[in-house]
Amino acid sequence: MTDATAHQEPAISVRGLTKTFGDFTAVDGIDLDVPRGQIFGFLGPNGSGKTTTIRMLTGTLRTNGGTARVLGEDVVRHPELVKRRIGYMSQKFSLFEDMTVDENLKFYAGVYDLPAEKFAAQRQYVLEMADLVGREGELTRNLSVGWRQRLALGAATIHEPELLFLDEPTSGVDPVARRQFWDLLYDLASRGVTLFVTTHYMDEAAHCNRLAFIYRGRIIAEGSPAEIRADHMEQRIFDIITRSTDPVLQWLETAPGVDEAYLSGASLHAVVPTDSPLTGASLRQRLADAGFADAEVEAVDPTIEDVFVNLVSRER
Amino acid sequence: MSLKRIRLLIWKEFIQLRRDPLLIRLLLLMPVLQLILFGYVVAVDVRNLATAVVDLDQTSTSRKLESAFSGSGYFTITQHVAGENDLRPLLDSGTVKVALVIPEGTQDRLARGETAPIGIIVDGSDSQISAVGSGYASQIVAQFNTDRIAEQGISLAAPGVDARIRVMFDPTLDPINTMIPGLIAAIMMISLMAIMSQAVVKERESGTLEQMFVTPIKATEYLIGKLTPYAALATAQMLLVAAGGLLWFRVPFNGDPWVVLVGLFLFMFTCLGLGLLVSLVSRTRHQAQQAVMFIMIPTMVLSGFIFPIQSMPALIQPLTQVIPLTFALEVLRGAFVKGSGFSALAVPMLVLAGFAVVIFGAAIVATRRRIAE
Repeated sequence: MTDATAHQEPAISVRGLTKTFGDFTAVDGIDLDVPRGQIFGFLGPNGSGKTTTIRMLTGTLRTNGGTARVLGEDVVRHPELVKRRIGYMSQKFSLFEDMTVDENLKFYAGVYDLPAEKFAAQRQYVLEMADLVGREGELTRNLSVGWRQRLALGAATIHEPELLFLDEPTSGVDPVARRQFWDLLYDLASRGVTLFVTTHYMDEAAHCNRLAFIYRGRIIAEGSPAEIRADHMEQRIFDIITRSTDPVLQWLETAPGVDEAYLSGASLHAVVPTDSPLTGASLRQRLADAGFADAEVEAVDPTIEDVFVNLVSRER
Repeated sequence: MSLKRIRLLIWKEFIQLRRDPLLIRLLLLMPVLQLILFGYVVAVDVRNLATAVVDLDQTSTSRKLESAFSGSGYFTITQHVAGENDLRPLLDSGTVKVALVIPEGTQDRLARGETAPIGIIVDGSDSQISAVGSGYASQIVAQFNTDRIAEQGISLAAPGVDARIRVMFDPTLDPINTMIPGLIAAIMMISLMAIMSQAVVKERESGTLEQMFVTPIKATEYLIGKLTPYAALATAQMLLVAAGGLLWFRVPFNGDPWVVLVGLFLFMFTCLGLGLLVSLVSRTRHQAQQAVMFIMIPTMVLSGFIFPIQSMPALIQPLTQVIPLTFALEVLRGAFVKGSGFSALAVPMLVLAGFAVVIFGAAIVATRRRIAE
């Protein structure tokens, strides 16, 4: 395959990809298409098969079936053709903690055989991006989380990969650092890098161009955030703010006409069928009758989290 | 395979080693400590020594003498050979540890009231065996003389049987002489196994192992890059122990250095393989430590490193044959003390080679599969 045709292929194209560990099917025949230059969000609860999928797509885990083309190459048969062109960053950040910032960068640059002048430029870029100028000689174990996260991103992209896999890159990082980190990801995407990001922070899903939900090894929804909200949400959502959260939640769970109720941030979400006669006012009245006079009810658009909770409860 | 990447991995490994000052100190302190412990503090009872008898007299007296030895519990007569010339290979290969030579005319000399010299040859390559064994032999002969005088009611000026004890291979009888070659092998095993498994497990814990295999680094490159620094470290330790033994404790070296090098080389692969296997079954560094202990304790006790195999119960002895260190000790002690060459040590050498191929091979295959899995 020539370079020209390879570039027209999606960054990732997967058909029927399967991985079993003994009796357990971790990934169950999934199909995926990730267009180039996009931020693709791969969402799912812990243990749903996200990391297993990434490991197969990076050529580090054997598959049990299906095909996986990454950057136009068959990653199952020829992982070595892909490895130079991809980057990977895990939630552990995976830096050598007993080595300095500079030594870590030097190691990964050497692994990809970067020429000296290229390395000098990339090193400067990473140090500035990670805000580590002047701290090149520090052991990475002494850096705090935000800095280590950005350095890990720098190390994973030192060879300017066309496709970057990020496995829960923001777990354990404070909200401010998370926001900064997503700015860096946007920056990479704007330079044409395809990003394949797993996360279980639903608010981060809205940052992605496209999303796929994986649950128990199967993809249960795929599309842009707007499409997913439109296609998979046949119900309406009410946002309820009350001081007596727990009793209200209990009341809602058994209330007739309410499909589901759960905590969403500081408030409660109640899910009702589209054709339900309930309105914000009538639900509020019923809550007041039940003794929850302070409850404020508002009809809201479903968030990605609402969709996800809904999809998962339907799967069960 | 890329030499450049292997060099890079080795560079990385040495940087990480250098950053662990405690590890380096332990690595240098451990051999010294063991050298002192085992060099100065050794004393063990020895029983059931394999013994060969050359009975050239073939009389009732010679048979009585033989049964005095076999009845003592310290010696087990395993071989009868025709002449003294046949003894050397038996002692060389360690098949027997003691030989009893009763010359022709022993009974006649005693009957004439003369002193009858008999020969007792003790394998000196194991200092405990030689020291304790020759002591028991003299006691048995003294008892034999006393009994004979009491039996016959005679009182003669001549002492009767005169045991001429000759210790082969090592006249100095210092326990350190067998301990030093043993230590070299034992230390090599501990450091390679413990430190290597720790290093691999640490990389798995921190996620860097996973990270490296997303890059173009190949499993073989990783393994070479990982094994080389630890092999170098083990060599440095070996030299330290050897130097300490030869210079401080003045252990004589009678053998062929090539025998030692080949033996150690084979054993090194076994140890590297064991280290890798430990790293495969361990999820955390703590588990790896436990696994190393689990292997080291029986190894130390059963290999003959501390307690002579000859004095172990017959039921236990077959177990010693599945422990690689047993054969490494045989080769090293044979070469150091007896000066045995490749032909005399062919059996333990081949067994060591077998262990190296099987254990190292299995470890490499399993590690590669684990990485690809």
